[in-house]
Amino acid sequence: MSIKLSSSVPTDREVVLGILNNSEEALNKLYTGYFPMILQFILNNNGNEDDAKDVYQEAIIVLYNKIKSGNFELSSKLKTYLYSVSRRIWLKKLAQHSKKTSNIADFEDVLIVDEDIEQHEQKDMQFDKMQDALESLGEPCKTIIEDFYIHSLSMQDICEKFGYTNSDNAKTQKYKCLQRLKKLFFQG
Amino acid sequence: MSNDIQLEAIIEDYLNGKLNAEEVKAFEQLRNNDPVVDHKVVSHKVFLDSMKQYANVLSLKQQMNAAHEQIDVDAISAKVKPHSSIIVRMFRNNKAAIAVAASFLFLAMVMLYSINNQTKQDGSFKALNREVSQIKRSQNTLIRNINSNAQNNSVAPAKFGGSGFAISSNGYILTNYHVIKGADSLYIQNSKGVSFKVKAAYTDPVNDIAILKISDNSFENLGTLPYNIKRTMAGIGESVYTLGYPKDDVVLGDGYVSSKTGINGDTLAYQLAIPVNPGNSGGPLLDNNGNIVGVINGKEMKTDGAAFAVKSKYIMEALNAIPTDSLTKRIAYGKRSPLQGLKRNKQIEKIQDFVFMVKVYN
Repeated sequence: MSIKLSSSVPTDREVVLGILNNSEEALNKLYTGYFPMILQFILNNNGNEDDAKDVYQEAIIVLYNKIKSGNFELSSKLKTYLYSVSRRIWLKKLAQHSKKTSNIADFEDVLIVDEDIEQHEQKDMQFDKMQDALESLGEPCKTIIEDFYIHSLSMQDICEKFGYTNSDNAKTQKYKCLQRLKKLFFQG
Repeated sequence: MSNDIQLEAIIEDYLNGKLNAEEVKAFEQLRNNDPVVDHKVVSHKVFLDSMKQYANVLSLKQQMNAAHEQIDVDAISAKVKPHSSIIVRMFRNNKAAIAVAASFLFLAMVMLYSINNQTKQDGSFKALNREVSQIKRSQNTLIRNINSNAQNNSVAPAKFGGSGFAISSNGYILTNYHVIKGADSLYIQNSKGVSFKVKAAYTDPVNDIAILKISDNSFENLGTLPYNIKRTMAGIGESVYTLGYPKDDVVLGDGYVSSKTGINGDTLAYQLAIPVNPGNSGGPLLDNNGNIVGVINGKEMKTDGAAFAVKSKYIMEALNAIPTDSLTKRIAYGKRSPLQGLKRNKQIEKIQDFVFMVKVYN
């Protein structure tokens, strides 16, 4: 009874090459292509639409990291891989909330993806740590750091944006912010 | 303080690969000599990697959220969400179990059915014993349907065929009425393959007997008939044989009389256990002494090994209908047959010239 995926599904090769080339279109196609499958799974297993979104996005991140790490082999269909990862993630979440995890309604074949999930959890922890550290950094440090490291602005741009009288002041400010962030990140 | 800032900047440039070769060399020297600097490099690298990963995931999430906006989540979830009916939900969730249960049920039903069937067979077998004489059975007349495949022949092939045997030396042939029924023209062919034109001289639809007369100019005389007609009834178990033309050559069928009555208790006929086929109709039925006891005229479709023959008594009645003086050297009744005491093959050798294939054109 698996529901026909309404949107067009890209081929697996398209997706892998697209992600390696940072193609936004490929990601969009991948995302819209398989979301209904995961939505169906989550809705039929004690979840709602928001759970589906969270789980699905995590699964895509796992796939993305795996492709980007370069040692990705197409040993199965992406569809099966995404389904298996989402399933594993959702089962863990159900167990965390001590909801029942027996009698799972499955709609696809399932692969064993525990190793990938473990790696993902470590990375996810670092992501959370970084997010927390940035949150507790406070302004203007957070914006300066984000502008420099995430949005790749130059020190000159930052200097102008924040109205520092010279770039040395900006550099000093950024240095102080960075030291605090590192402290928060490594110790937090 | 400013030294620290400079060091941090150099480390960052070093990790990002922005230093030139000389600067790299100088910095690596510094790093090797100073464990504090080395530690700073390592920790900064970890930090930068984490930051990079953070940035990647963040942008990925933004892209995915954008993509998510394009999806009509409600429409899809309406389609895939658990059905409100508990029965449908149970079916969806337990498809595998239901499939197993269904196939088990199916198997059980098949087994029950086959067991039922076996008992049914027993029942009908008994019923058959009891009702055997009441069952309305279709009698299949043994007219052979000759395939008209030899279309290049100048002579059109016969449509139907049967068998017949001579009852007088001047060319009277006896066969079944049903063989010649509705015929336009009739021919007979002897065991040597010679054909003669014949005409129906007498028909008796009730007893299924017909007498044909050879009207062909080329016909001369058959000579003395080697067999007689038996006056008395044949008993059950008496061995009998027949000669006929189920194919283009004469064929012997051997068996015994299995009942004194024919189909549905028909007293005109015998029931025989003898293998006969379409084309045997009209063939003579002889006992071991070479006396004609009947004329093969049909077989039972639904019962194995049951054929029927018109009794010889009715052959005599038919013969009486032909003016006596038109039959020269006609077949004798109740006399000692010239074949008596001969072996079966010798008997057949003598008889086969007097048994004909009847070819019917219509």
